[in-house]
Amino acid sequence: MFVEGKEALNPAQKRLKAAVHYTVGRLCEEVALDKEMQFSKQTIAAISELTFRQCENFAKDLEMFARHAKRSTINTEDVKLLARRSNSLLKYITEKSDEIAQCNLERKARKKKKSEDGNKSSRETAEAEAVDSED
Amino acid sequence: MADFYNSDSEPTTRTLLRRVLDTADSRTPRRLRSAGAGAQRALLETPSSRRLNSGTKTTAKQHSHGARSIGRLAHFQVSGNLEEQTPRTLLKNILLTAPESSILMPETVVKPVPALQVVQPSRKESSRGSLELQLPEFEPPTTLAAGLPAPSRKKQRLRLSVFQQEVDQGLPHSQEHPGNADASSLTSSLNLSFATPLQPQSVKRPGLARRPPLRRAVDVGALLQDLRDDSLASAPSGDSLKTPIATLPTDTVLEDTQPFSQPLVGCSPSVHHFLPHPFPTGTEDAERAMGHGTQSSGPGLQNHMSGACVAAPSLSFLEPQPWSAAAPEIIEAEDSQGTVEAEEPEGSSEDENTSDRPELAASTPEFLQAKQLHPIPETAPPPGVAVLSSETLEPASARLPRKPRTAGSRPRQDSYKAGLNHYIKLFSFYAKMPMERKAFEMVEKCLDKYFQQLCNDLEVFAAHAGRKTVRPEDLELLMRRQGLITDQVSLYVLVERHLPLEYRQLLIPCAFSGNSVFPAL
Repeated sequence: MFVEGKEALNPAQKRLKAAVHYTVGRLCEEVALDKEMQFSKQTIAAISELTFRQCENFAKDLEMFARHAKRSTINTEDVKLLARRSNSLLKYITEKSDEIAQCNLERKARKKKKSEDGNKSSRETAEAEAVDSED
Repeated sequence: MADFYNSDSEPTTRTLLRRVLDTADSRTPRRLRSAGAGAQRALLETPSSRRLNSGTKTTAKQHSHGARSIGRLAHFQVSGNLEEQTPRTLLKNILLTAPESSILMPETVVKPVPALQVVQPSRKESSRGSLELQLPEFEPPTTLAAGLPAPSRKKQRLRLSVFQQEVDQGLPHSQEHPGNADASSLTSSLNLSFATPLQPQSVKRPGLARRPPLRRAVDVGALLQDLRDDSLASAPSGDSLKTPIATLPTDTVLEDTQPFSQPLVGCSPSVHHFLPHPFPTGTEDAERAMGHGTQSSGPGLQNHMSGACVAAPSLSFLEPQPWSAAAPEIIEAEDSQGTVEAEEPEGSSEDENTSDRPELAASTPEFLQAKQLHPIPETAPPPGVAVLSSETLEPASARLPRKPRTAGSRPRQDSYKAGLNHYIKLFSFYAKMPMERKAFEMVEKCLDKYFQQLCNDLEVFAAHAGRKTVRPEDLELLMRRQGLITDQVSLYVLVERHLPLEYRQLLIPCAFSGNSVFPAL
């Protein structure tokens, strides 16, 4: 079960899956150190497989939600819709999204002030890219 | 003769008279011979007359006509020779002309006799002893009498009344004027023959008598009366009303099409009905309150299609204070109806809002208030005004949704669970084994949560698309999330698989010639 999934994918997906597996392993190590409980290899593999499939589901759902709202870009609204099932997660995500929105507004205000002095467009795109990457 | 005995299974006057005639001694040997000859000829004529009857399209089932025609033939045999009126001839006339089962119409037995007595001898004078003439004379009555069951009962009733009028008025005239009376008495005799098939048919084929619908109407009326009495007698708590309703869910499951046979009030709405449900709840609430049947409000409610769910509790608000306790129940019932109804594609956003009231109370009250203010005024403005005036605790209609949320949580559960009875019964049926009470309760809880989640999702999907109404696209999205619709299986495939043909035609657009698509996309 742990091996089949990787073989059905193309090389890029395999690499992606391997990366996920590695990250999950690192996280499990930290948790093991914290809780003083060891993780078996099968457990880590199971968790990584689970994470990968769930990410696939999330991506499909997000795309569906965006299309449902007649948009071609996935929005924070879509993400919130996705996370509404668990209340704590929803709260966390809404807080984060509010923070980000706040940051965006502040940055836009700062940008507008700065753009009055020099080259606005290049800086805005740079800031926008930075903001997007942070998202 | 034995045929006659067999055909008349019940001891009617006819059979008794027949037996008397057959067994009693006749006065003269001439009569005896004629009687014997008549009997023989009647026996001989039985197959031929029956054939004639079948030829004239009377079915063989109608023994009455056959017997009557044979009896008339026999009578002619006899009466042709006799011109004096003896008790025997009187009895024969009674037999021949009286209806098969004249229990309901005793007056008709005596009256037409003198008319027919006048008629028959006059006819016999004109044509003597000729069967051929007799047969065509009686063919029209038989055909007409046979054709009678085909037309509606209304016509029969009309003719009966006409006949009775004629009987009252025409017969004295017919006795005096035999010549003129030919037509009238013929018509009266014809009417008589018209009238008679009513009874024999109903007697001989009781299966065709349409009694069950009458019984049902009475049951509903009595039920409403009982419920009214119960509700008036006891406090309007959900549990007390559940007991008479507990017997009803089976009826509601079976009698799907009768809206007024539903169990009442907000306590137990059936799930499988969408819009007709609020109407009986509304009407019965009004009945409880006003104490008299406000059936006019029921049809009035029916006119408001979209506002049905909200109109029902709004109507309940018109009730005086003592029923305000019932109001939260009704609202909660309406909530439950809303949650259940909204899973259908035609559910409106109002249903979503009502289902949202109990759940998102903590999180976004203002958001809900705005939404609820929106549907309530737009659907039933006059009851809304009455709401404001009658509700003392809630000065604003904005507060109205909160009151049922806080106060009516337990009756809401009852109404939910009662509404889910239908699905629980389905579940127990498909389980094919007996289920414990605890299991039923768990199933109820699960179904409850499931439907709440479902409607919540639908509402959220609609809001996500910036809409206030749930549309089929939202349902498609839901089904996709449920995994029913995948990239391989589309909605149309599911429709084809599971729904009957009529729904398929409605749901799947078909392209016809001339650039016309049905149903329109």
